Amino acid sequence: MSSAVIVEPAERRPAGHRSVPLLAEHQLDHYPEFGDALAATFALRDDPFGPPGLLRVGARFYELVFVGYSGRPFPAGVRVAALVPGLEPLDEQQVDLDLWAVLTWLVTQVGGDWTVEALATTAGIYRVPGADRRP
Amino acid sequence: MVVPDQIGFGLSEKPHDHDVHTLDNHAANIVALLDRLDLREVTFVCHDWGGPTGLAALATRPDRASAVAVMSTWAWVSPSSEFHHRVLPWRLMHAPVVGSHLLGRQAAMPGRGMYLSVVNRERFTTHGMPGYVEVLGDPDERALTWIWPRSIPLGRDSDITTERFIWLEEQVRGLALPATVIWGREDDVFTPDTFAAQWHDIWPHAEGTHLVTGRHFLQEDSGAEIGGLLADFAGRALRAAGSRR
Repeated sequence: MSSAVIVEPAERRPAGHRSVPLLAEHQLDHYPEFGDALAATFALRDDPFGPPGLLRVGARFYELVFVGYSGRPFPAGVRVAALVPGLEPLDEQQVDLDLWAVLTWLVTQVGGDWTVEALATTAGIYRVPGADRRP
Repeated sequence: MVVPDQIGFGLSEKPHDHDVHTLDNHAANIVALLDRLDLREVTFVCHDWGGPTGLAALATRPDRASAVAVMSTWAWVSPSSEFHHRVLPWRLMHAPVVGSHLLGRQAAMPGRGMYLSVVNRERFTTHGMPGYVEVLGDPDERALTWIWPRSIPLGRDSDITTERFIWLEEQVRGLALPATVIWGREDDVFTPDTFAAQWHDIWPHAEGTHLVTGRHFLQEDSGAEIGGLLADFAGRALRAAGSRR
């Protein structure tokens, strides 16, 4: 079972944590519904220059930094980073599981043709860690 | 024989700036290679994305070409592959953020994706896969594994290469070079009954289709057989070109 992903208000960003880049997506507009879902969730069209989006998976936090490019709809891209306390090393295995939960959450937000079942099957085909944890 | 590793793959440099990896930029790289090496009477052998890039280069420097071979590739908007329209697994695999994770962080290509795209998987695991995997060791170096899938025109508003493919089809239809078509019998991405057949519609004079054992990466299963076909074809094309001079 995937861990639940909670959208947290930006002011709950934990103090004393550093940002560790995990994923960089530069083409949200390839399937615009992904950018639209993020824009709706984090009210980006109202305030494109606000703080990063904040997600919590269990006790762990992740931030989404939205990226704009001239001539393209905002957000054109997003960077996903783990917020790691102090100077503690990143737990890569836990991050893989949490990223799976974040992807599952994102696909749920997007909806339409994009289903959690299809995501799980795709990840299973490619043997992605966490893919066996179907919702 | 010149077998260039595409920029972003193999032993070539792997720029991390995604804007480098456009169809036009990669085609221009091949044009630059032709010019830099001053290659003449070239038999172009184009497989997969080597088709859109290599054929665009050929169309830009037609005087350097003497013949052309195509293998599991395409140069048009329509017909498109039914496989490429499916959400499961193709479109989800490279969807925004999902692609960065599955293909970037988790290296689904060239690892598992290549494994699934050959016939003799046991042999490929031992003899072929390491060569693909070890040269793409960092997620940032795998960018093309999700940028190329996003560059296939499928009639969607977000398509970014449609104009180039329309131009490319016009160009290849105007070519009168000796041509041959070689295809993987088991290719379920570019199925031979649709895609190889389309090449014969474009080039009615083309030889083939030579069907060999192979899925989309047919050279992994039938390298020696394909090599023999190409050596014979290129030799005859060169002799014919020589006799015309």
